[in-house]
Amino acid sequence: MEGQDMELDLTGRLMADMDPQLLDFLQHKVNTFVKWDLVRFFHDNPHTTDTAENIARYAGRSVDTIRVELAELARAGLLEESRLGEMTVYSLTADAATRDLLARFVAASDDRQFRVKAIYHIIRGTR
Amino acid sequence: MERVKTGIPGLDEMLRGGFLPQTANLVEGAPGTGKTTLGMQFIYHGITACDEPGLILTFEEFPQQYYNDAANFGWDFRRLEREGKLRVMMTSPEVSRADLEQVGGRLERLVRQMGVKRVLVDSLSHFERLSEDPAEMRAIVYGFINGLKREGLTAVLTRENAALIGENDAADDSLGFLVDSYILLRYVEIESAIHKALLVLKMRGSDHDKGIRRFEITERGLEVRAPFEGQEGILSGSPRRMVDSFVQAFVRR
Repeated sequence: MEGQDMELDLTGRLMADMDPQLLDFLQHKVNTFVKWDLVRFFHDNPHTTDTAENIARYAGRSVDTIRVELAELARAGLLEESRLGEMTVYSLTADAATRDLLARFVAASDDRQFRVKAIYHIIRGTR
Repeated sequence: MERVKTGIPGLDEMLRGGFLPQTANLVEGAPGTGKTTLGMQFIYHGITACDEPGLILTFEEFPQQYYNDAANFGWDFRRLEREGKLRVMMTSPEVSRADLEQVGGRLERLVRQMGVKRVLVDSLSHFERLSEDPAEMRAIVYGFINGLKREGLTAVLTRENAALIGENDAADDSLGFLVDSYILLRYVEIESAIHKALLVLKMRGSDHDKGIRRFEITERGLEVRAPFEGQEGILSGSPRRMVDSFVQAFVRR
């Protein structure tokens, strides 16, 4: 089997046995490792409201990277972006269905096999 | 007058019954002295013994750390959060300050919805990065403390003191003027062993115990014990036996 065909076959197998909602979540919402870190952070700290600068500090990432990813997560409906005085702040969405999906994603990612598949999808999506 | 009890054995007696309602109470000490434990105990006691929901504003530690630390004392913070009696909120000084200045801000809504009466702010030291100008810094903290009082909260505010033992470092002591009570936790060395000492430095509008008391962190939390007796210079970190000082001063050799 050619290299490209092998990859398509592997992709097909990995996608076939993944929860379609979680697969969609990975493909369209949490499609980078930084976003993965960020949604995990907000899942663990669901009452946090903070600026990109402070979230970057907690996450140990550069603020320029974090700012872009936070804005994309807000557009995807996972976070809420709001103004507080002169600051732009982010917090986890209040939408119960989205929070539930995030909780399922975080619970699933505790499983090594799911993590391997998710990592594969993210790497594939970033190419 | 009505008091807000901390539930810490010995401390409420030192405070003549507890903190005064809707006051800001500073707890300062070196790392590991028990500032956060004192604050968590104040929050836990409020929820479980006084039916007063609590809020923990953390500027550094993740909520998980508080759940774990509290569990060591048998305090189930996760359950209290699920029951809507506690909220552990990780945020930053600038955001919480700006939020308190907003009408209908998140904190205001939370206080109203949960009926929050007590707050632990851990720690005030993080405000120090907002300004290097002591006057501006004082104004910032003053505004924050007033915001908490405006919400009707009784607050315990922790502050780090880098000096493990001996004299305080050169931290801005003007913060002491902004708060209603000021509790100092110190390490002291007595006969080659480290002990912990607690002192109520000030309590606005109330009498309080002026003694320097020994305290311990037990499996049930903080317990304040008897005053150090026969010792002087406790706050220096290396006290002397009073009888030795007497001999040194008055007995001819």
